[in-house]
Amino acid sequence: MTANAGPRGLAKGLHRALLLVLAAAFLLPLLWMVAASLQPQGKALEYGMFQFPEGLHPENYPQALAQMGGFGRLLLNTTLLTLACIAGQLFCCSLAGYAFARLRFPGRDGLFLLVLATMMLPPQVLAIPQFLFFRQLGLIDTFYPLILPTVLGGAPFFIFLFRQYFLTLPVELAEAARVDGCGFFGTYFRIMLPLAKPVVGTVAIFTFLATWNDFWAPLIYLNSEDKQTLSLALASFNQSYRVAVEWLMAGSSVILAPCALVYFLTQGWFLRGVRLSGKG
Amino acid sequence: MKRLSLFLFPIFLLQFWLGTAFSSFAFATAQAQLPATEDQDPVVLRVMVHERWFDGFRYLEQTAQEFERSHPGVRVEIQSSASAAGGQDKVKFVLAGRLPVDVTWIDITEFAAFLQEDVLLDLQEYFDRDPNWRPEDYFPQILDAIRNFDGHLYGLPSTFTPYVMYVNQSLLAQEGLAQPADDWTWKDLKRVARAVTRDLDEDGEADQWGISITQWLQALSPWIWQNGGRFLDENGRCALAEKEAIEAVDFLVDLLHREKLSSRDATFEAQLTFGAFQAGKTAFYGPVGYWETYRFKDIGRLQWDWPQAMGWQPTLQKGVGEQRKWQLPEVEGAWAAQSYAVQDRQALQQVLAARLAGFRNGRIGESEMMQSVGGGKHPLTLFRQRGDLEAADGRLWPDWMYLAGLLQTEPGWVLAELFGPGEAIAGLESGFRQSLAQAEVQGFRWDVMPLPRGKETATAVAMRFYVVPKTSRHPQLAYEFVRALAGDTMQAGLARIGNGVPGLKRAALSRDFLKPTVPPHRERVFLDVLENARFMPVEVNWREIEKQTKAVFEDAIRLGRRSAEEVCVEAAALANETLDRERWLLQRPPLPRSWFLYAQYSPAALFLLWFLSRRLRSKDRLAAREERAAWWFLTPWVLGFLLFLAGPALVSAILSFSEWSPVRDPDSARWLAGHQYQRLWQDGTFHDSLRITAYYAVFAVPLQLGLALLLALLLKPRFPGVGAFRTLFYLPTIISPVILGAVWRWLFAGKQGLEQGLFNQLLALFGIAGPDWLEDPVWVVPAFVLLSLWSVGAQMLVFLAGLQGVDPRLYEAARLDGAGAWARFRNVTLPAISPLLLFNLIMGLIQAFQVFAQAYVMTGGGPGNESRFLVLYLYEQGFRFLRMGYASTLAWVLFAVVLLLSLLILRSSSKWVHYAGAGR
Repeated sequence: MTANAGPRGLAKGLHRALLLVLAAAFLLPLLWMVAASLQPQGKALEYGMFQFPEGLHPENYPQALAQMGGFGRLLLNTTLLTLACIAGQLFCCSLAGYAFARLRFPGRDGLFLLVLATMMLPPQVLAIPQFLFFRQLGLIDTFYPLILPTVLGGAPFFIFLFRQYFLTLPVELAEAARVDGCGFFGTYFRIMLPLAKPVVGTVAIFTFLATWNDFWAPLIYLNSEDKQTLSLALASFNQSYRVAVEWLMAGSSVILAPCALVYFLTQGWFLRGVRLSGKG
Repeated sequence: MKRLSLFLFPIFLLQFWLGTAFSSFAFATAQAQLPATEDQDPVVLRVMVHERWFDGFRYLEQTAQEFERSHPGVRVEIQSSASAAGGQDKVKFVLAGRLPVDVTWIDITEFAAFLQEDVLLDLQEYFDRDPNWRPEDYFPQILDAIRNFDGHLYGLPSTFTPYVMYVNQSLLAQEGLAQPADDWTWKDLKRVARAVTRDLDEDGEADQWGISITQWLQALSPWIWQNGGRFLDENGRCALAEKEAIEAVDFLVDLLHREKLSSRDATFEAQLTFGAFQAGKTAFYGPVGYWETYRFKDIGRLQWDWPQAMGWQPTLQKGVGEQRKWQLPEVEGAWAAQSYAVQDRQALQQVLAARLAGFRNGRIGESEMMQSVGGGKHPLTLFRQRGDLEAADGRLWPDWMYLAGLLQTEPGWVLAELFGPGEAIAGLESGFRQSLAQAEVQGFRWDVMPLPRGKETATAVAMRFYVVPKTSRHPQLAYEFVRALAGDTMQAGLARIGNGVPGLKRAALSRDFLKPTVPPHRERVFLDVLENARFMPVEVNWREIEKQTKAVFEDAIRLGRRSAEEVCVEAAALANETLDRERWLLQRPPLPRSWFLYAQYSPAALFLLWFLSRRLRSKDRLAAREERAAWWFLTPWVLGFLLFLAGPALVSAILSFSEWSPVRDPDSARWLAGHQYQRLWQDGTFHDSLRITAYYAVFAVPLQLGLALLLALLLKPRFPGVGAFRTLFYLPTIISPVILGAVWRWLFAGKQGLEQGLFNQLLALFGIAGPDWLEDPVWVVPAFVLLSLWSVGAQMLVFLAGLQGVDPRLYEAARLDGAGAWARFRNVTLPAISPLLLFNLIMGLIQAFQVFAQAYVMTGGGPGNESRFLVLYLYEQGFRFLRMGYASTLAWVLFAVVLLLSLLILRSSSKWVHYAGAGR
């Protein structure tokens, strides 16, 4: 991999300097968030950003979590929800992506355009009718409304990623499998899907991030105390002037941390997935 | 073939359920861990009122426990009401979802809408049947506000608050001014404000003001009423264009913009930032409610941690008593800090006698005198009776109240017991004076007083009250729980934590509310002004009118760019338009019955028909098998598309030609034909929001693309730590917009507050005085653009992937041809990644037009309409004003705009997007 800018000498110095400046700009709000979460109650705004005249107050963290109520339950709910969405997305989107890439049938390209067009429908158009639909099915205050629309049909972008990726795999591979007696599903499941690991990883991470942070759907659909999710619990003390900023920032940091970690550990995959899909 | 398909479809369904079986299983197990108590036995009462984080939550739990004890077999289940989405929105979702909630609470401003939507249970008959119901236990003005036109009572108050004026007595004293008497007038206000307003640092702009005027509509209403103005005339038309209302608005414009006697601070949305009042820079702050005491109560509060202050602790611990934690959970704040059970009364008497001597000589301040000394005896009852309180001389009562309150405290009655009530009062009074003097030193001795009078005396009242939705499965129990919520435990608890004025009279007249040790010292003002309380008109869509009026008024009051008369006339016209539309709506024909079901399922039905009747077009057997397999593969997507996209899209399209409130049955929708689309032409707010969204997109999209590309270029070469950098630049994308908005709101904090936000601090390093970002109509959209630049991670990633995919040989070739860095970028990199540029451009455009959460959290659309992005406006229409039809119209317009722009870009893309050789 040859770098196009070929940074050496002066160019290299410039490159690093620019990078550092931008990094600082991106980092500042995050640092502020963490710094504020360590200030004593009611003082985050009073003191300058990195001044701690009253020392650090890590007890904000347990307090903030206690305020959210039942942190263990929140974590379990959010994790289960996220896992369900990831599993569903991977299964449904890879199936559809494979069909669009490697199976021939009349109207395929038209249908694929339709898939892409659904990306443009603002979610707000659909929110209320979907809500009515789930109400009619009696599924309000369950996790289904949070999973089904996302998993089924809600992810044109992921279908697109899978399709593009499957297109890059040699056709001969599938044909060889067919010759060996594999059915369509067998070919997809045993030969092609294992080869699509980078995209699987990418879709999994994208889904993880989206579901983990989703606030809107849980707000509308979830109601019972025992079904709350992390971001919902956090948001519920966001708008309150009674709750200290310090707690809000502590809660935010806690929720952000696993996302940051997951992303950091998997970013190689991530990039490869996006890159390979972009090739087609 | 057909028959086969018929046979296959159930299997398709099965396949789809298998796809989600994992999730169902996971949740089944998760839910199985909960006790499976459904509505059989015990009876479950579902209550959705205060939030879990709420300070007073323990009183709610306590009330629930008491209720369970007195109602065996009943379990009270407390659900979170998640106030995140503008407080009231969640209640609407719950009602809209037909969830079996038994007790919830609503805001008084929503009452009319909920009455109209017919979702609340009329509780009058339950009150009539209840032998223990005594209306006189509650403030009559408050109960009257919860009655419908027939005088039926629908609920009971939680806490309420009349609007009053907060006053910084220190500042007045410092300027050598006397605090005006309680019957002060607008003239007095102006006179004092003129005297206080000064330019301390002589930079040509005032930095100490007479007043901070609050500017949301409920806060503006007292001015209008006081000048003899009104919101609706006797014919139900908006009367804001009348002379009295215009004069009142003009008075405020005068204070704010002509004489510049008011700080521009004090907007409700910005309440998280430190205000000018709290910074000790304005003499008055208001009209505003009781809730603000919560922010200020710790300033100038009397210190009760006497052992430290007096250096007594060791003596007491050893000689007098045994230290223990106060047991009562309800003892709040300083009370809870520490109290002492005193066993050796004689030792205590000696100490107190000595102290009191010092106290009288003025050597010892009140705070030192305020000792919590436990004992089994009841406090003095001398001043406790309500009769006494109400008989107290109007002029004297504040101090009397305060002293009476002090006497009710343990140190008070110990003193009284030791030295007799007369002595004790004298001693306490001198201590009181001293404590005021001490607060003076802090520069923020504050209190409350009635609003200044105009031609009339009036104030507004904010309130929430407990109600029973019609969906309740146990109305009688629900009613009884409403009684309990408005009963002693809860009301006294709410009073104690300073949530508001309790609606229960005896709680409001108790020490719990009148809190002697915590400012403001004259809580009683809140009760006194109640007789002049007025409420906003009870009109169905008052919320919408309120929002419109506020936005229009802001042009004059907040921004000072239009005259009072102009905005009043426009506000009245807008309000009348809304009122007319609401009345006209009721005459429109309903949609066909069950239209919703037909619309929701017709795409699926049509598809099924087509699917079953079609012939497989592929001729040979293998191709036919492949075609069938493809449909199998697509089943999940097709199902999702039909049920969650096509069906809902059709429903929404129909809604955009009708009007319907989401808390009601779909069959109540009314057909408006093209009216909603015609309305778009006249809707100024829509024009504003379209303009603002476009303005935002024009700057945000290209800047985002540029920054993302720059970052990708910087991160392409491998160097140590590149992974960390890539993570860092992507991180903001991971943060949920809600948190993002919350963090950035602080970063953008402007100059009017106590301190600058991070942004302005940085600008100050370069000698630039930053604007008041979120308050300034010029800077608010640029602020959002800046925010959008922070989350370019996804676009950067796409570019990065594209850059890594560029064939290195191309660069080599270019280098050999002697191309410089720029030429290589221009001729190799750009063409190679142009498809991704197109992709990012379109995605960026879609996102830019869908900006919502950030604006919702950061500005709520203000100032004026200057950050009311299209989706925010859509959300308000649909979920706040319950006008889902118009919201759908807006959504489809949004869709059309984005589609049109995307198509234009795609059309032009053939000129600048370069696809590498072999096909796409």
